[in-house]
Amino acid sequence: MKYLPLIWSGIWRKPGRTILIFLQVMIAFALFGVLQGLRTGTQTAMANIRADVLFVRAAVRGGAALPRAVLEPLRDVPGVRDVTFVDTLQGTYQKPNQSVFVLAIDASPAWLTMLSDFMTVQKKDLDALRDSRTGVLIDPFMTQKFGWHVGDKIHLTSATLQANGSGNWTFDIVGNYVAHGEDPSVIIANYAYLDEGRVRDKGTVRNFFVSISDPHQAAAISASIDHRFTNSSNGTKTASIREISQQALQSLGDVDFLIHSILSAVLVALLFAVSTMLTQTIRERIPELAVLKTVGFSNRALFILVVVEVCWVCIVAALLGLAVAIAVFPLAKNLAPGLSMPLSVLGVGAIAACLVALAGAAIPAMRAARLPIVDALAGR
Amino acid sequence: MNYFKQVAGLVRINITTLPQRWTLFATVVIGVACAVGVLVSLLAMGAGARQEAMGNVREDRVTVMSIGAQSPMLSDISRDAVPMIGDLPGIRRNSAGEPIALPQAQVSMDAIKKADGGPMSFVLGGDGPNFLEDLPEFHLTSGRLFTPGLHELVASTKCARQLEGFDVGDKRPMAGGDWTVVGQFRMGSSEGICMALTDVDTLNSAFGRNSYNTISVMLDSPGSFDLLAKAIQANPAFKVEAKREREVVEVSMKPLIGMLNFLTYFVGTIMALAATLGAVNSLYAIVDSRRRELATLRAIGFGNTSIVTSILIESIILAMPGALMGAVLAWLLFSGFAASPFGFSFKLAVTLPIVGIAIGWALAMGLVGGLLPAVRAARIPVTFALRAL
Repeated sequence: MKYLPLIWSGIWRKPGRTILIFLQVMIAFALFGVLQGLRTGTQTAMANIRADVLFVRAAVRGGAALPRAVLEPLRDVPGVRDVTFVDTLQGTYQKPNQSVFVLAIDASPAWLTMLSDFMTVQKKDLDALRDSRTGVLIDPFMTQKFGWHVGDKIHLTSATLQANGSGNWTFDIVGNYVAHGEDPSVIIANYAYLDEGRVRDKGTVRNFFVSISDPHQAAAISASIDHRFTNSSNGTKTASIREISQQALQSLGDVDFLIHSILSAVLVALLFAVSTMLTQTIRERIPELAVLKTVGFSNRALFILVVVEVCWVCIVAALLGLAVAIAVFPLAKNLAPGLSMPLSVLGVGAIAACLVALAGAAIPAMRAARLPIVDALAGR
Repeated sequence: MNYFKQVAGLVRINITTLPQRWTLFATVVIGVACAVGVLVSLLAMGAGARQEAMGNVREDRVTVMSIGAQSPMLSDISRDAVPMIGDLPGIRRNSAGEPIALPQAQVSMDAIKKADGGPMSFVLGGDGPNFLEDLPEFHLTSGRLFTPGLHELVASTKCARQLEGFDVGDKRPMAGGDWTVVGQFRMGSSEGICMALTDVDTLNSAFGRNSYNTISVMLDSPGSFDLLAKAIQANPAFKVEAKREREVVEVSMKPLIGMLNFLTYFVGTIMALAATLGAVNSLYAIVDSRRRELATLRAIGFGNTSIVTSILIESIILAMPGALMGAVLAWLLFSGFAASPFGFSFKLAVTLPIVGIAIGWALAMGLVGGLLPAVRAARIPVTFALRAL
């Protein structure tokens, strides 16, 4: 403790230099925090995605749609708890570039829980949707974007035609839901309204969602679903929502590599900068260190003195940098919606800061400790 | 002594004494090299993606899609729309006098990756008869073209390289039948995405489709776009819109480019900032270690401005090797390195303009980094030198 003032005065011997090093470490760790946060955040988000909900789509995308009648055989697959389905209608609101995606569902209670990763729907809203054939639920974002409110009637234009040849679809807004995805320009409507209205593709759906009792059986049940339809004209491709997200993440593998490379470059540059600055400082302080030795400081004490000085600056700066990273992290959310900065990044960052400080300080501190007193005092 | 002579002399002293201060020198070089290396790699990634996607884009080719469709896959155009669109003005006609307006359809499904046996999706596209008029960049590398009406397809060389079962002669079970791979192709300069092609009506009947996705139109000149777009708008019954090919590709590239831009500018700026701070620190240290020398120089008549200039030149000279090292390192590590974020794979392209940007970036770092230390050097009081002697 009694050495604290000594360390403190050592740190502020050249305030300009210390502040610059401090800023450099801070910036490096702010970058470290944001990039590492993006990586770990995605992985954490992935692990939380449900493995007990399977997504069933046609094996050929863009080919014939799945018939709704597949619902019954799906229910009979062992291990399946509940099945629901969805179809979509692409529309535009007022201008051709204002796209609105209509999700047509059967309004079964499964929607309250099954797709919790993508949306939150309240029971009263779902009931309101079921009671109104032309009803839709909107995300609050749509109120912001188009000024829509519950009670409004909206007209969409779509390439999906009705029996009278018109592509105009009218909906009544009956409630709200909250989308968790990246694009909230999605509204939820009744499947019955869409299917009775359209001319083509009647009785088909885009995909099914299947909830299963045991998430560990996801792969086996997916395989048995696909096997069941493999020889029909409607081959399916089934996977759990988590597996699909993981596959999407895997295709980001190279970005992962990129982030690793960037972080390595940052830390190498930082290590070198800290180490050189320290060497310079020690060289300038040789006479002072020699005086300390003359008044009885041991080699070890000097070594520790220098190391503590560096660690203090590095760790405080790194923590501040990580704090900055946490503060600016919401900005990166545009990139990967729904991410939050995992606290583990702070721990990893602090450890990295210690390593940089120790590695950077080791050689200069050693040199300080081994100083020959007579030569040093003589200024040789 | 004139100014230029003074600066030249000072720069010579600075450079000849560099080896004595090699650690400080190395800090600047390594800091700048890391910042430039990262910047160059990220820019190269963006350039590579752009090159790959835009390589075959033609200004006189237009994609007609249904209104509001955000990608060709989501677009839907009825069969009877094709002849109607073909009759619109602005469309190039072939030697037989027919408009070059070709219906296209696409489906996608999984195939098996050669690398790890996992699933990867590929696109099977259908093109109308005489599609070569619309796709002049298409050329076969082996085999022959598909025959309309038969279950035959040609595959891009990228598909053949990445996926199982796309060699000439291979049979692929699809849509309840066996399809034969009869040829392999490349598209112009870029390999593009992994895709297979067959006749559009054969594809539609095999996969139970009754409409097309898009119509690809060749204009009689790039300037005819407005003419065609107006004619389409004038008839709302079409429910389609014309988009330049460039626009369609740009929309499909948006997520990737957005991510890369963020990474490039955010990371590049921050690293440059850190490298500049490092340079400032090192140059301060260099100036400090030369106080006596600089004061002496001023005592014997060297001007303030020439000292400031010489320090700035020195810092730029220090930044240059860093810039070159960073650029060369990035080039060695990444040029030709195939990256595949978002399942869209392309080669990184370290091009000359990128190296130019990197060197400019490094110059800025050197200049900004040298400014404060240079001013300090010019302010060292002459008396300091005299006292020290």
